[in-house]
Amino acid sequence: MVKSSDTQGNMQFGVDKGLISMFLKMSPEERLQANDNAVRTIAELRNAFKQQKKSSRRSKRSA
Amino acid sequence: MPSNNKKNRVADLSALLKGLNEAGIEFILVGGLAVVVQGVPVTTFDVDVVHRQTDKNVKKLLRFLKSIDAYQRRSDDKVIEPNEKDLKGKGHVLLTTRFGPLDVLAAIEEGRGFDGLLADTVEIEFQGHIIHVLSLETIVALKRGSKDPKDQYRLPILEETLRQMREEKEDDE
Repeated sequence: MVKSSDTQGNMQFGVDKGLISMFLKMSPEERLQANDNAVRTIAELRNAFKQQKKSSRRSKRSA
Repeated sequence: MPSNNKKNRVADLSALLKGLNEAGIEFILVGGLAVVVQGVPVTTFDVDVVHRQTDKNVKKLLRFLKSIDAYQRRSDDKVIEPNEKDLKGKGHVLLTTRFGPLDVLAAIEEGRGFDGLLADTVEIEFQGHIIHVLSLETIVALKRGSKDPKDQYRLPILEETLRQMREEKEDDE
């Protein structure tokens, strides 16, 4: 994938400068909330992944 | 008695922080959440605090930990509740609580405990309470010497955030 020069300027050594700038505009409470939301989303995705693995194992066994 | 029922434990780190404040516990927020509140865009799964190890504070902390069903985080299924001796000791007490993982630390890098870190904190208002948070400047300085791969991976993000914070401050002045 080719990145635009704007994107390249904002990303150096894997650091997303635009994301940092966005986070700095938030209040500490908003940042905590964003972290909590991310943690919950990750937990939900992990659970969905586990469930999917379980059900594919079950369907393999019954096949 | 806390039960080791992982299904009942949904992480809510803000609630954990709020509880520590409302219980009147003296602590310094360090670790991942300390950098998150200062604007570093990373995700963290636990709360790390360095607590003041006075008798009064340890008693308050222990009472609070019991109220949130805290027990030691272990790889086996043993349920061991935190105790006063551990909280007054020099080590790390790694706990699972109703609101998510909580690490209660006597000291961090260079053996720095509550009194040794307090001068390097910033005060942040959170839900009507003032929290002492280890400053990003200090965290960056400590992490520069770290050999932990997680610290090395995060260091460029911390440094860039610090740079942008300084730039903003200069623009304001």
